[in-house]
Amino acid sequence: MNNSSPLIRNGSFLLFGVVFGFLLSRAGATDPALIASLLLFENLHLLWVIATAVGVGAILNLLARQFKWRSLASGEPISFPHKPFVRALIPGALLFGVGWGLTGVCPGTAPAMLGEGQWFVGVVLIGIVAGTWLVGFIHHIQIKRQVQSRNMTAANR
Amino acid sequence: MTLSNFSWLTDSPIFSTTLWPAWVAGGAIGILAFAQRWMTDQPLGCSAAFGNACARMGSRLPLFQGPAHSAVTDWKLWFLVGIFLGGLLASLSTGTWAEPTHFGTLYTALMPHSDAGRVLWWLFGGVLIGMGSRLAGGCTSGHTINGVAMGSPASIVASIFFFAAAVGTAQLAHQLLSALGG
Repeated sequence: MNNSSPLIRNGSFLLFGVVFGFLLSRAGATDPALIASLLLFENLHLLWVIATAVGVGAILNLLARQFKWRSLASGEPISFPHKPFVRALIPGALLFGVGWGLTGVCPGTAPAMLGEGQWFVGVVLIGIVAGTWLVGFIHHIQIKRQVQSRNMTAANR
Repeated sequence: MTLSNFSWLTDSPIFSTTLWPAWVAGGAIGILAFAQRWMTDQPLGCSAAFGNACARMGSRLPLFQGPAHSAVTDWKLWFLVGIFLGGLLASLSTGTWAEPTHFGTLYTALMPHSDAGRVLWWLFGGVLIGMGSRLAGGCTSGHTINGVAMGSPASIVASIFFFAAAVGTAQLAHQLLSALGG
């Protein structure tokens, strides 16, 4: 898909996004009250949404792997790239969970909530961009420190 | 606010029902995630797009200069624009905007009551979400819906900690509020 023209590529993802946003809304995932009642185990509706989505996805993925279904974009068997075990995985996941628990918003539902008319999510979105930037900034400082300490050791030799 | 001009949408039962049964909505999301994988050979994900947003807004930080956030991957941003339009379509088709101040009992009690306090609350929450998803390499879309369905070990671990922290936060807040509220 990365090889096709930018217009077709961006346009198809725009359409996938429209369907995803609509479904998130119809699933109730964009309702902070329903998120809170999931986290307090008062109403497990969203748990069943997630479980069905993962279950259906898992069955389709298994079939695709077993029978080597080919991707429309590449003509090759569909790829299943696993996300890596990065060092910050667990602390990151915990931070994410706290933010999600405090606001009832996640990066995927945020734009849909804004589209639905929940204007407060605009502030959360600014926060998400700022938080993302902050990780980039910390990463940059770490690289600089590493280079400095490497130069120090080299100078001391 | 009603949107009577969109009755052609609201008259269809598929569109006018606000909340679909969990298995219908969940099943459709699972099929959509797979359809995207099949048609584009790209996994579902949302949070990486915020790295593209940083790069496109002029950030020169090395984290946002790699292939994961290059201009070729700006479809990630278009996907988010689509999600916004999907939410808009959801509201237009039910004929009412989502109630912007309906946060439920937990968040209404938990959040500061002043507007300035709430803005800070949402900013702080957003920063945690942004930092956490970038550090963990994904969010509830990329790790949970996409990664767990592939049986990816890192995604399963990440999802367990997403839910543990979110449930812990909400339960603790609930306990504190009821202790303080008497």
